[in-house]
Amino acid sequence: MLKAGRFVVITGAILGLVAAAASYTLSAADIKLADPASVVMIVNRDSNDISFMDIKTHKMVGKVFLGNNVNPHMVMMSPDGRYVVTGGTRANKAFIIDAKTLQLVKVINVDIAPEHLSFSPDSRWYYQGNPEGDSISVIDMVSLTKIKTIPGFAEPLNVTFSSDGSKAYVGNYGAHWVGVIDVRRHELMKKIQVAEVPGVSKLDPAKYLGEIKGINIAAPTNDGRFLYAADGDLGVVGVIDPREDKVIKVIRVGKNPWRIYMSHDGKYAITPNNGDETISIIDLQANKVAATLEAGPDMTGVNFAAGKAFVISSTSGFVYMYDMNTLRPAGRIKIGTNVQLETATTDTKDEKLYLAESTTNSVVIIDGKTGQFEKVANVGLFPWGTHIMDSKDNYCH
Amino acid sequence: MQRFRVGVASVVVLLTAVAAAAQTSSVSGKVTNKEGAVVANATVSLVPPPSAMASMPGMRPGATDISVQSGADGTFQFDKIPAGQFILQVDAPGQSRSSQQITVPTTQALAISLEPLEVPGAEASPTAAGAAAAAPTVDALLERIRTLEQRLTEFESTTVLSEPETRVKRIEIWVDKDGNQYDHQVAGSKREVTYERERAYRRQTINEKIEQALSDEKDRNVGIGVDATTVTQFAGRTTGDQALANKNAYALASADLFFTAKLAQHTIFFADVVALSGSPPDRQIPTLTLLNGYTARLVNQNELNLREAWLRTEFFGQRLALVAGRLDLTNYFDHNAAANDETTQFLADALVNNPTLGLSSNGTGFATVFDPKNGFNFKFGIQQSNPDADNLSDSIYSLAEAGYVARPPGLGEGNYRVWYRWDNSAESRANAVGISLDQRLFPRLTVFARVGSAEVLDGHDRFYSAGVQIQNGLVFNPLDSWGIGYAQINPFSGRNEKLFEGYYNFRLTERLRLSFNLERVLDSAEGDQPKFGYFLPGVRLQASF
Repeated sequence: MLKAGRFVVITGAILGLVAAAASYTLSAADIKLADPASVVMIVNRDSNDISFMDIKTHKMVGKVFLGNNVNPHMVMMSPDGRYVVTGGTRANKAFIIDAKTLQLVKVINVDIAPEHLSFSPDSRWYYQGNPEGDSISVIDMVSLTKIKTIPGFAEPLNVTFSSDGSKAYVGNYGAHWVGVIDVRRHELMKKIQVAEVPGVSKLDPAKYLGEIKGINIAAPTNDGRFLYAADGDLGVVGVIDPREDKVIKVIRVGKNPWRIYMSHDGKYAITPNNGDETISIIDLQANKVAATLEAGPDMTGVNFAAGKAFVISSTSGFVYMYDMNTLRPAGRIKIGTNVQLETATTDTKDEKLYLAESTTNSVVIIDGKTGQFEKVANVGLFPWGTHIMDSKDNYCH
Repeated sequence: MQRFRVGVASVVVLLTAVAAAAQTSSVSGKVTNKEGAVVANATVSLVPPPSAMASMPGMRPGATDISVQSGADGTFQFDKIPAGQFILQVDAPGQSRSSQQITVPTTQALAISLEPLEVPGAEASPTAAGAAAAAPTVDALLERIRTLEQRLTEFESTTVLSEPETRVKRIEIWVDKDGNQYDHQVAGSKREVTYERERAYRRQTINEKIEQALSDEKDRNVGIGVDATTVTQFAGRTTGDQALANKNAYALASADLFFTAKLAQHTIFFADVVALSGSPPDRQIPTLTLLNGYTARLVNQNELNLREAWLRTEFFGQRLALVAGRLDLTNYFDHNAAANDETTQFLADALVNNPTLGLSSNGTGFATVFDPKNGFNFKFGIQQSNPDADNLSDSIYSLAEAGYVARPPGLGEGNYRVWYRWDNSAESRANAVGISLDQRLFPRLTVFARVGSAEVLDGHDRFYSAGVQIQNGLVFNPLDSWGIGYAQINPFSGRNEKLFEGYYNFRLTERLRLSFNLERVLDSAEGDQPKFGYFLPGVRLQASF
């Protein structure tokens, strides 16, 4: 009854606003982006700006400069389409852009070296991970202020919210556990160990003490029932049941999996294993590795389109393709020689990939069906990542 | 029926919503900047809260936003606003967006204070009104000083002078059956070890960092060491037939290549490849023990020989060590701090080893060392004594030793060892027992002694040695050392041999040593062997790196 009452009030307010909006409107000149899903956002690390490219025309419709020496890392649009945000790694600040006017409207101090970020499903909370500060900054998108810094992480990278928004899961690349945040209180309430560090590690502590490659992300399945977290040093993927926040299975994959990516049909997940230059395709129904296939060096991302998986090999200049029906290699696309491929997003129709290529300051648009591609040059200096609202492949390094 | 109910409910909800929308009121307020000056032409918007947008899927963002501009006096007003929750946003050039949730109806006029938008690396561009307000009044300057002090405080509290260091540490955690990890023990959890990155604000000089990096690099690589030695000796016969081996010069050059690699924690691989050439005095002077300890390594002239190749690993907190491979078992037994190394101490083998140990060749075997870290230590080893034997069981040479590190009152550290060996390769019983001790009497002076008795057919061979080593004083250079020793071997056959040696070892550099030594050996007759005696002065030049 309470929910019904709230619904009535909200619906009434919106209807009233619709009526009032007829008399109060922004001028047309102020609105630069009418449809937030119509653009590809490109984060340019060295020109310190966010570019907005129209998906249909491939023309730039806007560019927002963030400041000098900001080095934005990842860009994301809020689920309600109101804001575009990014963390400035060198500036230790979060930048809030109005998605409609493409104006920088707020700069908020966060912790050290902000990189990856996420929004709660209701767009209320913007969680900014600060890997060098070992913390998560909580930004209230109503007041546009940082309301809390949650400490206690170890190089936190990606944050994923549960579908009901009550919990957030944080991959700690500097450890072997996934942090669970109670979103109501914005507190770290649990650490879920993905897998045990093998006892034999005592014999080779240099490997473990030199540099740690832990968990990049706890990625949810499409139905939100499970989370999959790959651990680089341990070479495993832990399957977490978020209802009880416990690990229900540990799946061994190749060496040094970078992270895990979910296929759009919900059947498979892929880990690019940079330690042995393979990919492991995990059958999500059976929770088993269905195929291990050769890939390239320095893989930074996996996208899905037209029934295929596209694996980005950063330093080789190749994008490797795999048929997700037969689970066999389907060729590779040579993007260029001496180029550095970064990360990509896929459009909401699962047809095209938008791949950032930092050497020539371009975005490479790959047709998922044919493998043909075109380049859009001069998108900004050192394009580092791309993002499309509601894409299923929005990720960063 | 179900559809009918839903339809009725929807109509009721819609009508109620429309009724709620019909109850409208106004929202008004004033916009100022940080300095208190009014901000004209600010864009003031009312937008639905995020939760409302989430409940209206498909609603295009901004479709329901309404906006007005603030007037010249900074005031604004919205009329006919329905009751409910809204976000009030205020934007002005050069200012950060002000955003707050409000509930309509509201009776109070809203006071909006805008903060400057601080873009990194760019100076804030004040508005005309702001610039007027920022005229250098005393209040403005005081406010500016307060702001700067606040920034300084924040800066000092969030930064350190040294660069933070990222390192990975080994930690103990407790994990329950669900995989939940805790920093402390909880019911049903078990202790585990894991690794976690931490950032430490530790002051470390650049030199320390470089040294640490080099040390880490060294640990990862195969280490190669070289020990090159040239020993030149002269023999002057003092007793016996002067025509035999008299006034001769001898020289022996030795080069050892050591390879070490750290394979795992507390596990190393070691190999020693040696090549020798030259003529030691032992080829002409028939002493019972070697006058030049290097001679034992000389297998063939100018040939490389693998002396040792073994793997050593340690268990139980480094209390138990196991060495296996091709090894020289006597390296692990019958140690002596003052008389154990022909490369830096005495040259004569009788003052390096105990002849009653009775092993002259290296072979396959293993050695275990148990050191409970309480002063005692225990060793046991087995080695193939005869490389030509067809099987190991016919040529087992085994040694056991118990040692104790003593610190007698008023004295320095002393090592006391007793060993027992058994060798089945000889036709007769070949048991032996021996003692080796070294005791530091003063910081400069260490005394040593060895005693041994080996079973032979119908009797025992006996051996004694003793001497002193001086270091840390009474030397030309601070790191020099010198020693005097005496050894005597009394075989059951009746022949006796007495040997004196003195040496002085100049440590020229970290890697270069020069030693002068003088040996005096006296050999009594046995059967038809003549009695003989020699003086053997010598020079040893050693480079080790």
